[in-house]
Amino acid sequence: MSRTANRALSPNELQAFGEELDAVRRQVTADLGATDARYIRRVVAAVRWTGVAGRALLFLGAFVPTLLWPAWIAGTLLLGLSKILENMELGHNVMHGQYDWMGDAQLQGRTYEWDIVATGDNWRRTHNFRHHTYTNVRGMDDDIGYGLLRIFPEQRWRAFYLLQPPIAVVFALMFQWGVAIQDLRIGRWLHGKMTTRQLLRVAQPVGRKMGRQLFKDYVFFPLLAGPFFLPVLLGNLVANGLRNVWTFVVIFCGHFTADAEVFPKECVRDESRGHWYLRQLRGSSNIGGGPVIDVLTGNLSHQIEHHFYPDLPANRYSAIAVQVRDICARYGQHYNTGSLPKQFGQVAWRIVRHAFPSRAPAPRPLVQMA
Amino acid sequence: MNSQTSLAPAFDATHRWFDPAFFDFWATRINPLWTWNRPRARLLARRQAAAGATTLVLRPNRHWRGVQPGQHVELGVEIQGRWLRRHYSPTVNAAGELEITVKTVDAGRVSPYLAQAARIGEVFELGHGFGDFAWPTAPTPVLLLAAGSGITPMRALLQAEAARGFDRDVSLMYWVRQREQACFEAELGAMAQAHPRFSFRLLVTGEGAPRVDAVAPTQWPALAHAAVLACGPGGFVQAASQRLAGEVTSFQAEAFSAPAPVEGEEGEVDVLLSRSGRTLRLPRNRSLLEGLEAHGLKPLHGCRMGICNTCVCLRESGATRHLLSGQQHDEPAAPVRLCVQAPSTDLILEL
Repeated sequence: MSRTANRALSPNELQAFGEELDAVRRQVTADLGATDARYIRRVVAAVRWTGVAGRALLFLGAFVPTLLWPAWIAGTLLLGLSKILENMELGHNVMHGQYDWMGDAQLQGRTYEWDIVATGDNWRRTHNFRHHTYTNVRGMDDDIGYGLLRIFPEQRWRAFYLLQPPIAVVFALMFQWGVAIQDLRIGRWLHGKMTTRQLLRVAQPVGRKMGRQLFKDYVFFPLLAGPFFLPVLLGNLVANGLRNVWTFVVIFCGHFTADAEVFPKECVRDESRGHWYLRQLRGSSNIGGGPVIDVLTGNLSHQIEHHFYPDLPANRYSAIAVQVRDICARYGQHYNTGSLPKQFGQVAWRIVRHAFPSRAPAPRPLVQMA
Repeated sequence: MNSQTSLAPAFDATHRWFDPAFFDFWATRINPLWTWNRPRARLLARRQAAAGATTLVLRPNRHWRGVQPGQHVELGVEIQGRWLRRHYSPTVNAAGELEITVKTVDAGRVSPYLAQAARIGEVFELGHGFGDFAWPTAPTPVLLLAAGSGITPMRALLQAEAARGFDRDVSLMYWVRQREQACFEAELGAMAQAHPRFSFRLLVTGEGAPRVDAVAPTQWPALAHAAVLACGPGGFVQAASQRLAGEVTSFQAEAFSAPAPVEGEEGEVDVLLSRSGRTLRLPRNRSLLEGLEAHGLKPLHGCRMGICNTCVCLRESGATRHLLSGQQHDEPAAPVRLCVQAPSTDLILEL
C-alpha cells in the first residue's frame, strides 16, 4: 500500500489553503451562464434519446426476429447508458443543487426525482448532507462500507467480514437497492432500537418508489412487447444491473482507494473551513481518463473537486481541477488520482485485505501540533 | 405572490406513475407550447408603446387559466441560461392574446431584453393571474390614479368597464415625467370621447403639472363617496394615500419599487415567511438560518456551511448578502441557502 507524504499544515497555512479554494468557488460562481445551461440540457437530451433508442431496440426483436440478439444487445447497452447518464451526470448533480441557479423547475435540486429505486428525498439526506459534510468520518458518514463492508483497518473487525468479498459482488449487482434502504437504518431495527411499525412508516415512500420502478421496467415495458415480454424484461434487468455495477465501481473509487483516509469524530469538532477542505481532499480520490470517463462517471472522476464544490456545476470540474491541483501542490498535499483499473484495483484489494483482521496505521495529522 | 411558485415540482415521483417532464421533453420538440400542465406563452409581436416602453403581444397555451382585469401575472424569461421572473399587469385582447407593456429599466436585466433581444416566436413561462386589484363591488364613483407603468392595470380595468358601457363615473389621472413617456394616450382619449361617464387627465410633471400631493383641491374630481385605486412607485402610492385619507370611501393600492440593496450589516429587517404568513425581525449581520432559529423556528437544514443545499428556499423578493463572498443578490423568485445568506433588505421567503 502506498503511503504518500502529506504535509501537516500550520494553522495559518490551513486558513490560506481554504481561502484559495474559496476564491476558486467565487470565480466559477460569477461566471455561470448560458454554456452551463446548454450543457445540462444536452445531458437531459442524451438521457431521453438513449433511453428511447434503447427501449425501441429491445422491442425491435418482436418485429424482426432475425435481429433479436444484436438488437437486444445494443438496446440493453443503450438503456444502461441512459440510466447511467440519468443517475450520475443528471440526477446526482442536479440533486446537489448544481443547476438551481438556472431557475428551471425541472432541474431544481430539492425536487428532482431520479430513475432509481432510491427516493430523491432519502438521497438528499444521506448523501448531500451527511456524506458530503462528514466525508469519511467514522460513525458519521454511512457511506464507509455502507454498514456492510470493512474497507478501512480503523473499522472494528468481526468474523462476518470474512465473507465480504462475495458479499461485495452481490452488493455491486444490487447497488441501487443498497442506496434505497441506506436511510432506513435497518441496523437499528435489527438491534431493536426501532419498532417494526416505525420502520414500515419511514419505509413507505421508498416502498412506493420501488413499486413504481419495478412496475415500469418489469411489467409495463415488457407487456408492451406482448409475446416478447421476456427479452424486454431481461434487457431491462441487465441494463439496471450494468448501471448498478458501474455506479458501485465509480463511487467506491471515490473514497476507498489506498491513499484515502478516514477520520475520527473528534476531527470535525469546531472544524474550520480550511480544515474541512483538507479533510475532503484526504478522503477523496479521482479517476483519470478524460472527457468520456468524466461524462460516464457523472464527473465523479473529479471526486476531489466535487467534494470541494458539490454545488457547482459538474461540467466545470475539469477546468477547476487545474487550479485545485496547483493549490494542492503548493501546500504539499497529495492529489489522489489514477486510472480506473489502478484506482479500482486498490479498492478491490482493500475489500479482500480487510476481510481479515488488520491493524490501523498511526493516524496522519492534518494540522501541525502546537 | 406565494400562490405563484413557479419553481414548484412538476410532480412527486413517489406518488404518481407518470412524469410530466417526459411528456414535456418530447412534445416541446414538436411545439414549444405543448406542455403537460405548465402554462407557457409565445411572443407574437412587439411594438413601441411610448418612449422607453414596449408592448408585447403573447399567445398563451391552453394551460393558462387567465387573468382578471387589474391582476398581474409572472412572466419567466430565459436570459443567459437563467430563468428570470417579473410581474406585469396584462390586458387580454379580443383574440385572447395577452398584451404586456414593459417599461425599459436601463440597468435592468429583463426589460431591456424584452424590449430588444427577445425573438418573435420565443416562448416564455407564464403564471396564472393573481392579485386583488379590482373594481370595487359597490356602485361608487371610482378615481383611478396611475404613475408611470402603474397605468397597465388601469388599462385592463378600463377596457373591462368600457365593455360594460361605464355604469358608473370613472376618472383617471395619469402622471408621467415627460409627455412622450405616456402610454395609451390616444386609446384613453378615445375612450373618454366615447363614454361621457369616463374622464381622463394626463399630468406631465416635466411640464409643470402638480405631483399627486400638490394637486389643488379644486382640481380633483368629486372625491366624496369615491373609491380610489392607485398604482405606481412606492413613493407615489404613499403620497396619494396620505393626501386622500379621510376624504374617500376606500383606497386600494398597488406599489412597485425594487428595494435598493443596502450596504453594511447593521440593523434589522422584516422577513415575511409567505407560507406561514409570519413576519419576523431578523438581524442583517447573521445568516437567515441563525436569525430564524433565534425566533425558535427550525427550518430544514444540514451542513450550515453552504454546500449541502438542504436549507434552500425561494427568495420571492428582496435582497440577501452571501456571507462568504459578500455579494448581494436581489433577483426575485430565486433560490437561496438560508445558512450562508444574510438579509440585506426586507425579504419575502417561501417558508
